[in-house]
Order: sequence, then C-alpha cells, then structure tokens
Amino acid sequence: MGPGFRRDDDLGSNLIITCPHCGARPVEEFTFLGDAKPQRPTSNDPSSMEQWFDYVYLRDNPKGRIDEFAHHSGGCRAWLVVTRNTETHEVHGTVTAKDYAVRAKKSGR
Amino acid sequence: MLRESPLKDVVRAGRYGADKGAPGVTLSVVHPLSLVMVIARKGKAKAAKESLTAMRGATVMWAGPDQYYVKGAEAAALKKKLGDAASIIDQSHGRVMFRISGPKSRALLAKGTPVDLHADEFPIGKSAVTQMAHVGAHLTCTGKDDFELSVFRGFSESFWEWLTEQALEFGYQVN
Amino acid sequence: MGSFRLSSGGLIDRCKRLNFTFDGESFQGFAGDSLASALMANGRMLMGRSFKYHRPRGPITAGAAEPNALVELRSGGRKEANTRATMVELHEGLEAKSQNRWPSLGFDVGAINSLASSIFVAGFYYKTFMWPKSFWEKIYEPLIRKAAGLGAASREADPDRYEKSYAHCDLLVIGSGPAGLMAALAAARSGGRVILADEGSELGGSLLFEREEIGGKTGLEWARGVIAELASMTNITLMPRTTIFGWFDGNIFGAVERVADHVAAPTHNEPRQRYWRIIAKKAVLAAGAEERPIVFGGNDVPGVMTASAMRHYANRYGVAAGHNIAVFANNPSGARSLRDLRAHGLNATAVDHPIINVKGGKGVKAAVLAGGHDIPCDAIAVSGGWSPIVNLMCHRGTRPVWNEKLAAFLPPDVGAEFVAAGSANGKMLLSECLTDGAAKGTLKGKPPAVPKCKDEAYAISPLWWVKESKGKAFVDYQNDVTVKDLPLAAREGYNHIELAKRYTTAGMATDQGKLGNINAIAILAEATGKTIPEIGTTTFRPFYTPVSFGAFAGPFTGKHFQPVRKSPLHQWGEEQGAVFVETGLWMRSSWFPRKGEDWLAAATREVKATRNGVGLCDVSTLGKIDVHGKDAGRFLDILYCNTFSTLAVGKARYGLMLREDGIVMDDGTTSRFAEDHFVMTTTTANAAKVMSHMEFVHQALFPELDVTYTSVTEQWAQMAMAGPSARATLNKIVDGAKLDDTNTPYMAAREISILKGLPARLFRISFSGEHAYELAVPADFGNGVARALMQAGKEFGIMPYGIEALSIMRIEKGHVAGGELNGTTTAGDLGLGKMMSTKKDYIGRVMAGREGLVDPKRQVVVGIRPVDKRDRLRAGSHLLTRGQSPSLANDQGYITSVAWSPMLNMWIGLALLSDGRNRKGEVVQVFDGLRNHHMLAEICEPMQFDPENRRLHA
Repeated sequence: MGPGFRRDDDLGSNLIITCPHCGARPVEEFTFLGDAKPQRPTSNDPSSMEQWFDYVYLRDNPKGRIDEFAHHSGGCRAWLVVTRNTETHEVHGTVTAKDYAVRAKKSGR
Repeated sequence: MLRESPLKDVVRAGRYGADKGAPGVTLSVVHPLSLVMVIARKGKAKAAKESLTAMRGATVMWAGPDQYYVKGAEAAALKKKLGDAASIIDQSHGRVMFRISGPKSRALLAKGTPVDLHADEFPIGKSAVTQMAHVGAHLTCTGKDDFELSVFRGFSESFWEWLTEQALEFGYQVN
Repeated sequence: MGSFRLSSGGLIDRCKRLNFTFDGESFQGFAGDSLASALMANGRMLMGRSFKYHRPRGPITAGAAEPNALVELRSGGRKEANTRATMVELHEGLEAKSQNRWPSLGFDVGAINSLASSIFVAGFYYKTFMWPKSFWEKIYEPLIRKAAGLGAASREADPDRYEKSYAHCDLLVIGSGPAGLMAALAAARSGGRVILADEGSELGGSLLFEREEIGGKTGLEWARGVIAELASMTNITLMPRTTIFGWFDGNIFGAVERVADHVAAPTHNEPRQRYWRIIAKKAVLAAGAEERPIVFGGNDVPGVMTASAMRHYANRYGVAAGHNIAVFANNPSGARSLRDLRAHGLNATAVDHPIINVKGGKGVKAAVLAGGHDIPCDAIAVSGGWSPIVNLMCHRGTRPVWNEKLAAFLPPDVGAEFVAAGSANGKMLLSECLTDGAAKGTLKGKPPAVPKCKDEAYAISPLWWVKESKGKAFVDYQNDVTVKDLPLAAREGYNHIELAKRYTTAGMATDQGKLGNINAIAILAEATGKTIPEIGTTTFRPFYTPVSFGAFAGPFTGKHFQPVRKSPLHQWGEEQGAVFVETGLWMRSSWFPRKGEDWLAAATREVKATRNGVGLCDVSTLGKIDVHGKDAGRFLDILYCNTFSTLAVGKARYGLMLREDGIVMDDGTTSRFAEDHFVMTTTTANAAKVMSHMEFVHQALFPELDVTYTSVTEQWAQMAMAGPSARATLNKIVDGAKLDDTNTPYMAAREISILKGLPARLFRISFSGEHAYELAVPADFGNGVARALMQAGKEFGIMPYGIEALSIMRIEKGHVAGGELNGTTTAGDLGLGKMMSTKKDYIGRVMAGREGLVDPKRQVVVGIRPVDKRDRLRAGSHLLTRGQSPSLANDQGYITSVAWSPMLNMWIGLALLSDGRNRKGEVVQVFDGLRNHHMLAEICEPMQFDPENRRLHA
C-alpha cells in the first residue's frame, strides 16, 4: 500500500492492542493504514473511476469511533481492524482484516 | 559440504560479564538447525494441526495464525505427511536459533520483548512472535527457565551482540 | 560561622567520609548525604544563580521539585547538566559545578540584570526583540542564549551504556512512603505481581525524615520492617532510584532507573540508566505531597527553604540550614519543624507577623516582618501548605480537582486502573495514609490491618502571597517570575492560565511549576477576579522530571543504531576484499578494489571481466517469497499488472507491481516450480514493503484465495553468474546432465543438484544483459558454493563484481531500478506499458488510467549520452530544451541514473524526459544546479549497449 505507512517509534509507548492471535501487545509492534471502511470497488471499467478515486484517496477523519487497519508487523503479521476512539484513545475491539473483509462482503457494503 | 554457521567466528564459548557466582544466563546457538515452516492451506487448518500433533520426534511450535515451526523434521517428510493440507517451507538455513537458560533468562528477554514472560502467562510450550531490538523474533518457552529464540539469519550477528551486551550485568556462559 | 553538621542524628554514615568537589573546591561529606546536604554541611548554601536576574540561590527543597540548586555533574563525555543537587547521591570523587553564572558563582556579571530588572518584566523578550527582524539570527538569539541558558550539554560522546526493558505487573506502586508501603504490602500479601518504585536512593519516602510513630515504633523502623518483608517475597520487585516519569495509554508507565548514577562511573557490566516501560494492570499513585512556599519579598535568598526541607536536612542528613531559624507557616508543618529543629538544639522561632522582606544577599541576615520589625536569623523555614503530587494522573489529559478545605488540587478520578493513595490523594493524617494505602493496594479479599499511629491534626488557612511585600517576591524561582509579572500578564490580555504561563514563563523548564504553580494560579485568580478552580491548572505532561537522551536511545546508538543485516555470502565477500555499503539494513558488497584502485576503477574492471568472461555477484539480498496454494497464480495476477497464472512450470517471467493509485511499486522475476508453487523476487529495498502489501491484498481484499506466502530471502544464498563463460563455469559444479539451451533455455527456472548432492534453484535470467544465471543454495552452503564457483571459473578469469558494476551494466542495458522506480513513475513512463493486462483485475489497474497518468507529455524513461564524450553526466541534473535558461517553467525532466560505461567509453545515463519517446536524437541542455554546470547531451534509446540483446543468448 505504498505511501501512508506509519510506524510508531520507541518513544511513544501508548496503546495496547489485543491481537486475536498474539494477545495484548503495545502499539510499537503495529503499523497503521487508516480507515478500514472504504471497500475496494469491484468494477474495472474506466467509468468506475470516481469510485476508485474515493476508495484510494478519500478517508473520513472522525472524532470518536473509527475502524482502522493495523498490521501486526512486529508479531504474527496479520492485518487487523482495530476499533478505537480517536478522542479518548479507548480501544473497543480488534478483529482480523480477513474476518472484517468477509463480513463486509457478506453485508454487500 | 558442511553447513557453515553465520556465527562460527562470532560466538565463543566462555564465561563473560559480571562474576557473581553462577552465571545468570547460559547462551548457545543451535546449529545445524532443522526448522520448517508449515502453513495450513485454506480450510485445512484443522487437518494440518491434527497431522502435526500426531508427529513424533519433532517439536511443533505455534508461529502465527494456522502457522507452525517444526523443529527436527525434514521438509520432504512433512510434505509427504501433510500433502496439500499445508505449505511446507524450509527455514533451516534462513533462521538462527539461540538457546537461553538460567535464572535471569526472563529478565534478559524482557529487555527486548513486550511479551509478558512470567511462567503463569508464558508457560512451557508456549510460543510468541514478537520484536526484540528491532528484529523480528520467534520465542518459545522450553523449560522452567529455558527459552529458544530464532531470528532471520542476516540479523543473527547483530542480535547476538545486543543479547550478550544485555546479559553482561547477570554474568553469562556461552556454550 | 558555626558548624552546620549536627553533632548527631541522621541516616548518614559518619565513619565513611567521601571527598567531592564543587566548582573545583574540595569538600568532604558522609555516605548517605545528598550533594545539597553535603554542601550545606560545609556552609555552602549558595549553589546556583537564577535564570534571568542571576540572583544567588540555594536549595529550597530537599527533593525532586528543587528549582534552584541545579548543578552540572562530572566532566567530559559524562557531563550532565541541570541535575538537582537535592537528588544527587554523594559519592567518592563526585565532581559538580554550579551553572548559570559568569565568571564565578560568588561574583556574577549577569546579576546586573537584577538592577535593570524593571525592563526585564514578563514578556520582556517578546516586546524587546521584535525588530528589526534581521537582528534576530545574528544578535538577539545568540545574546539570549548566552545570557539565559541553563547548563550546557557535553559535546563529547557519552561513554556509558543505557538499557531498556519492559516489565509487567498486577500493581505498580509509585512512591514508598507510608501509603505506598502499605499498598505494596497489601498487594504483595494477596499474591499479586507488584512493582514498588521510588525516585529516592532509599525506600521509605517521608518516613526517612519525618518523626512519626507507627505501631509503637518509629516510622523509620516500621518502614524498614515492611521493606524487609517485601524484599523476602518473590512476587514483588523493589525499584529504588526509579522515577516514574509518565503515564500513557494502556496503563503503561515510563520509568528511568538510575542504575549507576550514584557512583563515579558504572562498571563495564552495568548501564548508567535503564529506561523501563511498565505495563501495569493497576497502579497506585502514592507520590506524596509537595510543600509549597509562601511568596514574600526576598523569598529566594539562600537560606529560605520549605519547612519540611529544613527538617529533612536535619533529621535525615544531620545538617542545619542555620542556627537561628525563623519559621513562617500557615499550617502545622511550621510547628513540626519548630519541634524537630529545637530537638536538634537549634534556635527556632515562629514569626508572629508575615514576612515582607528578607535582608541579606548570598545568605539570610534577617526577616523583615509586616509592621516593620526585623528578626535576626540565618535561615527561614516557610510553609504555605501542601500540594498533592498529582502530575502522573493528569498526563492523559484529565485535570485535577480543587479542594477548598485543603486549599489544594486533588487527583482526578481516572478510573480503577490508576488510583491515588495517601497524601497524593489529599489524606493529610498519617493513619488515613496507611488506611488509604492498604485499601488501594488490596487486589483481592480484605485489606490488611493497619498499625496504630499518632496523628497530628491538620488545618490550613490559605496564604499565597504577602501583599505588603517589599522587594522581589518570587512565584517561580527557576524562571525568575515575580508576583508582579502575573497581574501584568493579565492586564496585557494574557489572562488564561495557559497564556499567562507562556507570557511570564511561570511553570516552564525542568521545574514545570512543581513548587510555584499553585501560587501563580492564586495570584492570577485575584488579578482577574476569578476563583482558583475557575483559573484551573496548566496541562500536566510527561516528563515528571527530565529524562536523559541516553536513556531514550538505550543501547541503540552508534553501530547499533539499527540492526545490521548480513548476506550469507558476507564472508565470501570479505575474503574477496569487498567494500560493503549499507543498503537499508543490509551490508552489500559494492566493489572489490585491488591495490591502488578507487571504486570506479574497480567497478570498471569488474564490468569488463564479466562481459568478457564471467563474473559472480552476491544477489542474496533480493527479496525472495515462496508463494504456495491452489490460487497462487490468481494471487500473482492480482498483485502484478501482467499475468502469471499462464506461466509454465519451469519458467521465469519479469513482473511489474503497481500500487492501487496506479504508480509502480516494485518489480522482479517470478518463477514457477509447480502448479501450486511460485518463487517471487522483489528488489532489496522493497522486500519488506512488498511482503506487507501481499499480506494486505490477501487478508483484507481477497481473503477467499487459497494461497500462502513466506519470505525465504534468508533461506537462500543467491549468486548471479554472468558473462560468456557463465554456463561453462556452472557446468563444472552441476551434477548430472550439463546445462544447455535445451534443458535450460533463457528464462528457465529449475531445481537442480550441484557439487554432488547439494540442492539448488537455478534461474536463467539476466540483469546485466549477458548470458547469465542466478543460482540459489541453502544459506549455510553459500560461502562454500561461492568459493567452489571461484575455483571452477578460474580458467575463465572469473571476477567477483559488486552492486556498482551491477548498476553500470543495467544502465548500459537500460534496465530500470530505484532511480526510475521512484514512486512517481507509471508502467508507461518506464516503457513497460504493454505489460499492463486488459483481461484481469489487478492492483492499480483503473487508477493507472487516470488522465494525468496517461498524459502524452509525461516524463518517460529515455537514454542519455553526452554530445562531447569527454563530458561527465551527473545524476539529478535537469534537462532543458536547447538554448533555454534553467527555470521551473522550462524544466523538461532530469537524469535518474548515470554510469561510466566501460563498453561505450563514456558517461551514459537514464533520464525522465517529457514526451521523451518522441525525442530520440534530440540534443538537450543539461543543467547541473549543484555545480552550476551546463552541457549538451543527446537523447537515445534506454538500451545503449548490445541493443539486439545478442549476448543474452550467446
């Protein structure tokens, strides 16, 4: 996913994320990729360009809850979706990106 | 041709660091290493796990979702046994394994990993994939105060230098 | 001057004398002293100069909140500035210097600022140094820095080691006074994993100096009994000399353990400091309360200190701050000091009127009381009440809560995972502290019984500053903020506490307002007609006290700044005399100089030998990924813009991977070894990124695919064998049938056996343009196989070549690499547009068709060569239409890669040039802005050497 990777450095000891595979780990083991809500368009027709543009570039920046991609790059290497509160830093839950994607595809979002 | 350890000129047996009686930790390199990664194919996680559990003479270590490191079994034999239930990838040369034991082994490892290694939380047989000194590490508790840890081969020298420096205060023995 | 060391008492070891120096002068103290107590014992109350007015200053506390007695420790690489003399443990050979004075502590030229103080009021810097703008850099800033700086950092490297560690616990107890000890005891007895941390050199907190009675013993005896019990338990870790400096999300606490700050130098085996990240299920803040001064004229004269500090020095260190002491307090701390100081035989008197001024410069001579009469004295003990040390509980943004009765801010409720106990929680009676500690420390069951103790009643009548004060009355000692500055800030519109802080500098720097903040708030409240809770506090942020950079860096400095990654052929490279260059974390053999050769001469020789015979290059660092599974081909089709599902088993194919935005991400060859098994390669630089990308594409986008992928980069040592004699060389080590164009044609990928039974992967692929192979063997055999190949190739003049020679050859062949795959180029830009499939979905397909990405005027890859063959092309030079001057509007592109071509005998390059494909043969202007050099060059095909690719098949 090229640009947009952010790696937390050693100083920022903050969030604890409970990886479904590895258990509770501090944030420095994770790499983040922003909002997980946008779904990749299924069409390859050039007429779908606007949808693609939204998918690639447009991200909400909510105050409050957000579903966010987190890669357990310093652990089991699973992509996760962490639901956290941008205001309070509270982590509400974590699922694998796989389960999140399957659920999203089922709900047809 | 004999297998050549990347640490053959780096790791020297002896007693190092603080000299306060018995060494706090004992360190060694497992070489030659036999280590195979087994990843269950889609829908075959249960079958793969069952085949591995039934194996004798090899150690199976958890290494991620539906992934295992198998120590002490040939890749070819595993391929035969697991068929298309799993991908079999030999990492015997790709990883370097260290053995860390002694009363200070947990204190030493805590300088690298955020994983809670207390015996109640990380009992014998448990494995974790984590990061230590900026290097990805696979860690398994193998005994009361005993651990096995492997890193990618290319990092092994750098990692060894970090590990031994962190062990100075405890006093360490290299076997 | 009488002796300041009391004849008896204190926790010092009078049999153990320690020598130390202060400003070069030799002194003696005792084991157990702090630097401040030892200096005071020697009659040295003057320890520093203030920040702005350079006024003489002595310690005002005996602890971490000390704003005045800031000293520089040690020298050379071990020099440490701004340490608090009150917290420094005395040790043999300690070397300390005062700061902020010139030329000496006793006579400081900067003190003249004090005479001109009417212009140094709050906001002075903002008002004075506004203009002319040009004066800032050259005059104002250096002047301010020289005059206003605190201690200076050493410019030498720190010779000591620093470590980092994680810790986990059920309960972290911060502070080891009565509440902290009780909390730790309760938790440890209930079986939890406990950490008890205290910033002091010895556990015990206030019990080390307060005369209390607990359970029929002295407070100290009780504390030592508890500590002994805790020390005997295996489920508790005692961490003295450890400051918890911050509270972070996830209930993680940052801490610094001063492992060897109390000795002259650490031993070889121990670090100076250790940085801890403590992950606590629950934590108790038992950090106690800070005694605050009252603001009155001359309250900064050395010898004025808090009442508790004065009894701290007397009771713990056996040191008198003076012999005739005036005590000024609005709460029972005054009476307590009177009692303790008198017990030591000192003459202590409570003042009957507020102090309005202090006579004396470098030491107290008399206190001037309201109403006009003086009390002769040589020290003044002052107490304005107690402020719970709430800092840590406010680090995540919650504000403390005002309590009118205690005239103090109490810690906020931040949830069950972090609670306060004891005086940090506003409990002012000893019995309350013990009970609160026991309750907060109990993890399960009932709290343990609390020993009986004698309480002293507590009441306070708030008094923030003495309005009749004469002379300068300081609110913030460290920043020289006086009682007049805050109303001035309010008058000038800076009436919010956060604005007033920045305008006056109250509560800034290392002090962070530990002592002065509440007085500042009270004064601002009155100036603005508000109440104290309406004004509120400034934001509490980490760090509670300063943390050294060394502790943050930990062991990751110098050579270990980042991990070093070595190829399995590293040793072979060393044997061949390689010069290694860092590429990401990898050390790659870049060239193999012979005597007298520079890098260019070496690389030139390596290219010639390879193109004329055979060369061997270590390409192990390229990313290698085994892709398995029924859907492996489909997965690769999604990842790459070209198709792999159609690749025949036993064949390799070049692939180009795009990002979802249509820009090229990476390239490399992928080979198929079985229906369900491919081996992908990535560039060295992008290996980790590509792996993360594959994981994302599979797990988050196409989880239905039956595919697995594993990095095998480190499993295989891989060497490129290139040149007309490459096959002949390989054939000398291949088992069984020899390699030929039938069994191993161009782009073949095979699993073979070499050297009598070693398994290997062989790929007939070429980056150099030569007849070439890549041979992969299990890494432990890498050096051995490379040595065998060197032996086998001897008769063909085999030559090791590095990545410099590799780069020259790929530029000669016009192959793109990092300079061209630079995050801005499309497949079309690289001349690889035809690879983009129109028959399948793949990452980046639609976005690559955006208007801007298919614009015919885009800069595309071209070859470039000088018109005058003696000219040297430089990478980064810009291209202009001939005759045009360099400007952004005229810019046509730039040179991405250059090399001296041994085959063409000139500098050649690759460039990105607007509409480049239609400009072959055009002569362009080349402008090297760095060297201000202009030259002419001709645009040509990227592939400048062997354009028919004859050598590939030779």
